[in-house]
Amino acid sequence: MNNWRIIPLQEFDGFTNMAIDEVLSTSIANGGPPTIRFYSWKPSAVSIGYFQAINDEVNLDGCKSNLVDVVRRRTGGGAVYHDQFGEITYSVIGKQELFPCDIIASYKLICSWIIDSLGLLDIPAEFKPINDIITNGKKISGNAQTRRNGVLLQHGTILHSVDVDKMFSLLKVSDEKIKDKIIANVKERVTSVVQQKEISRGALYQALLDGFTKDKDYITNQLSDSELSTAKELAISRYATKEWNFMR
Amino acid sequence: MRITEKISNGKLVTLIVSVSNDRVDNIRITGDFFLYPEESITALESNFLGIPVSISDAELSNKISEVLKNSTLIGLTIEDLVRLFKKVVQ
Repeated sequence: MNNWRIIPLQEFDGFTNMAIDEVLSTSIANGGPPTIRFYSWKPSAVSIGYFQAINDEVNLDGCKSNLVDVVRRRTGGGAVYHDQFGEITYSVIGKQELFPCDIIASYKLICSWIIDSLGLLDIPAEFKPINDIITNGKKISGNAQTRRNGVLLQHGTILHSVDVDKMFSLLKVSDEKIKDKIIANVKERVTSVVQQKEISRGALYQALLDGFTKDKDYITNQLSDSELSTAKELAISRYATKEWNFMR
Repeated sequence: MRITEKISNGKLVTLIVSVSNDRVDNIRITGDFFLYPEESITALESNFLGIPVSISDAELSNKISEVLKNSTLIGLTIEDLVRLFKKVVQ
């Protein structure tokens, strides 16, 4: 059985969060242990998928005036507003051979750990391909995956509370003329833990820890100073640059 | 020229195409789809450059299949790309 490394919940800015995932992926490609980390975003941030056009997806002026960072992920998928206090993000990083080769099957496996976690809170949830988890028909978690150098990285968010109006002050909609309709539609389609049950963010985190580590051998430790300093450098040299974020 | 479509049971994709002398001059493919490895998007876009807008569906499909032979596209298919390309350059 593999010994997993668990990195407890920490908050970083979006550029550093994306850089930490890359630093851990590199270390795992070189023989490091499979890792699960939990994190949040300080300040709040919008992350966009690798293939998205930043100007199509993000209200850059709105983000600037609300002091919300904008960062491009290494993973595909859609734009996400990561509220500092409204969600918990996770990353699962390990050698590809630990996971099903089939991409949807590997999403399903890792998403099952989230579903188990929500189950511990008596919130029923199910996997909705390609990359979502829904509860009572509404999305509660979005996930995205990349595979490079034999390493799989999947990260995703679990919504604790959601402010859809704030979200759409920062994200663009495809058709401004029907923006109100789109927002109403999203309110119908998205939910959060607190909309399901009165559960604190701390209790959600504990459930995630329990759900993700179930049936796994693991050790818990923080990021090392060296990992963090390498990530900070990478955040500056890549994830915070215009070249990266405005590449599309 | 620009086209955006939410693929049925798939993802949102936008093609922005410019054409000169009936050949593709520039193309940008964006959206919330997945492509592994991600860098293959550059080869995919480059593959379109210079192709005539009159290219047959089968020929375009073969060209895309060839460039993506070691890649995996999720949330849209090669057939979707061909269809959207033909629609936008019409």
